[in-house]
Amino acid sequence: MEALAVQILKSLVSGLLMGLVFALVALGLTVIFGVMDIVNFAHGEFLMIGMYTTLLTSPLLGVDPVLTLPLCVLVGAVLGLLCYHGLIRFLLRGPMIAQLFGTFGLMLFLRNMALLVMGSEPRIIHAGWLVGKSFAVGPNVVLESTKLAAAVLSVVSFLVIWWLINRTKVGRALTATSLDAEGARYMGISTERMNALAWAVGGASVAVAGGLLVNFWPVEPGVGLLFTMIAFATVALGGFGSVRGAFVAGIIIGLIVNVPPVWDALLRTIDAVGLKNLEIHSLKYTMVYAIYFLIMVIRPQGLFGWKQ
Amino acid sequence: MEAIRNAFDFTDLPRGEMIIAALALLFLLLFPVLPHSSFAMATMIQFLMFSLYGMGWNLIGGYGGQVDLGKAQYVGIGAYTTALLMIRLDVPFWYSLPVGLALAVIWSFIIGYPLFRLKGHYFAIATIATSLVLKDIFEVWNFVGGARGLEIPLKGNLPNWLYLQFKQDYYYFYVLLAMFLVGLIYVNGFRHSRLGFQLRAIKDNENVARSLGIDAHWCKIKAYATATAFVAAVGSFHACYNFNIEPEDVMSLDLSVLIALMAMLGGAGSMWGPIIGAAILVPMKSYLGDWLGGKAGMAGMDLLLYGAIIMFIAAVQPRGVYGIVEALRARRRR
Repeated sequence: MEALAVQILKSLVSGLLMGLVFALVALGLTVIFGVMDIVNFAHGEFLMIGMYTTLLTSPLLGVDPVLTLPLCVLVGAVLGLLCYHGLIRFLLRGPMIAQLFGTFGLMLFLRNMALLVMGSEPRIIHAGWLVGKSFAVGPNVVLESTKLAAAVLSVVSFLVIWWLINRTKVGRALTATSLDAEGARYMGISTERMNALAWAVGGASVAVAGGLLVNFWPVEPGVGLLFTMIAFATVALGGFGSVRGAFVAGIIIGLIVNVPPVWDALLRTIDAVGLKNLEIHSLKYTMVYAIYFLIMVIRPQGLFGWKQ
Repeated sequence: MEAIRNAFDFTDLPRGEMIIAALALLFLLLFPVLPHSSFAMATMIQFLMFSLYGMGWNLIGGYGGQVDLGKAQYVGIGAYTTALLMIRLDVPFWYSLPVGLALAVIWSFIIGYPLFRLKGHYFAIATIATSLVLKDIFEVWNFVGGARGLEIPLKGNLPNWLYLQFKQDYYYFYVLLAMFLVGLIYVNGFRHSRLGFQLRAIKDNENVARSLGIDAHWCKIKAYATATAFVAAVGSFHACYNFNIEPEDVMSLDLSVLIALMAMLGGAGSMWGPIIGAAILVPMKSYLGDWLGGKAGMAGMDLLLYGAIIMFIAAVQPRGVYGIVEALRARRRR
C-alpha cells in the first residue's frame, strides 16, 4: 500500500514537471498554427536541433549548458525564419496536401541531415550545474534539479510569450493576423512579416525547450517524432492556436503519461493474478496518441480553442 | 453490369497514354524472361507492391482529397492475419487473404466513422495517431510476437501455390502482377463510378457537394474502406513474400508516408499517378539505398534526398509528375 502511495506521489511530481516541458514544446506549434493555420511536422526536429545546439556549443564555448540557452533562442529563431522564407512561403500558395507534405519533407530532411552529421548514437550532457543534483521532497521521492529547472524556465518562457502577445503592439498585430488575415492587411499590418515572426517565435521557444531537455533526455536524430506527436496531442487538447490552452494541456498530458506506472503499482499492490505480467508502462506514449484521437473526435476545438 | 463494362472501358484516355500503358504492360509481362539480376527482380516486386498501395491511397487521398497518413496499420492487419492464420491454424494464403481483408475493412469502418468527422490537418494527424497506437500495441502483444514479429515456417515441397511459397521470385512477380491488373481495372471502374464522381465533388467543394444531396461522411468512409482493401491485400502478400514480419516493418509511420508520397509524387487524383510515383521512387530508393548504404558515413543520405524532393514537389508542383504532363498537354492544345 505504501509503495502505491509513493508511486502516486512520484508520478504526480514527475508528471507536473514533464508536463511543463511538454507545454513549452507545444507552445511554438500553437503559435505557428494560430497565426497561419499550418501544421509543422518538423516541430520535433526543431527541438532536436535545439538539443544538439546545447550539447555541442557548451563544451565548445566552455560554458555551462544552461548559459547556452540564449544561443538556442538565436538558432531556433533563425531556423524558423529560414524555413518560413525558404519553404513555407511557397507552400501557402498550394493546396492543404502540399502544406502537409512540405513540412513532412522538412522533417525528413532535418532528421537525416542530423543523422549524417551527428551519427545515430544517443548522447546526453554529463556535466553541468544541474546534472546529477537532486533533493528529496518526501520519503523515496526526489526532485531532479534538471527537471525542476526545465519546468521553472518553461513557466518563464510562457510568461514572456504571453507578455509579447498580449501586452505589445507587435503581439496585437500577431493576434489580428490570426483572427482575420485579410482584415489585418487592410489595417496596414504586414501579414507576411507577422507569419515570419510567428515562425521565429515558434522556433525559438521550441529550441529553448530542446536546450533544457537535453540535460536529462538523450538526444539522437530520431528523437523528434515522439515530441512532435506529444506536441500535437497537447495543442489539440488545449485548442489549436491557444497559448493558455497549451500551458494547461501540457500539464494534463504530463500527468496522463505518468498514469501507467501508477496502474502497474496498483496491480502489484492488489496482487492481481493474471494481470501481473501486463506491464502497461511500456505503453506510456501510446496513451498520448490515443488521447489525441479521442480529443479530436469528442471535442475538436479543445479546451480553450477558438479555431475550428 | 454497367459497372463491369465501365471497369474495362479505357477508351476515354488519350491515345498517347494508351500506347505508353500498353508498352509498359508488355514490359511487365516479359520482365521475368528478360535478363535481369535478382536485385532488379526484388525492386520490380517492390514497385508493384507500392503501386498497389498507392492506388489504394489514391482512392481516398487523391480522388477524395482526404490526406491519410495511417495506411500502414492496414498493411499490418493484412500481413498479421495471414501470418497468424498460417502459423497457428495452417490456413493457406488464399483463404486467409479474404479474412485479412475483411478484418481490415471492419477496422477501417470502426476507425473511419469518428475519423471522418475531422477535416484537413486534423484528419491527417489523427490517422497517424491511430496507426501508431496499433503499432505500439502490436509491439508489446505477445500473441502476435511482440516487437520481434512473426516468422512463417517453410512448407516442404516448393513451389507451393496454396501457401504462396516459391523458391524463384518470378512466381511472386506474376501473382502480384495479376493483383496489380485487377487493381488497375478496379480503379478504372472507380473513376467512372457514382462514388468516384461523388468523391471528386466532395474534394472540390464539400459544402456544395452536400447541398446537392451527397452524403459526404458516408462517401468518405466507403472510399476509405475500399482503399483499405487494396492495402490489406498487399499486406497479406507481403507476409508470404518476406516470410518474416515485424511491426517496425509493416506498420511504421515511414511506410504510411511512403505510400502517400508515391501517389503524391506521381500525381494524386489521377489513375496513373501512383504508378508513375512508384516507378520513380522505388528504383531510386532501392538503388540509392544500395549504393549509399554501402558507403561509410552516408547513412540517411537517401532519406535526406527524399525530404528535399518532397519539399520541392510540394512547393513547386503539388499535383506531381502527372500534373506537369497535364499542364504541358493543356499548353499544346492552346
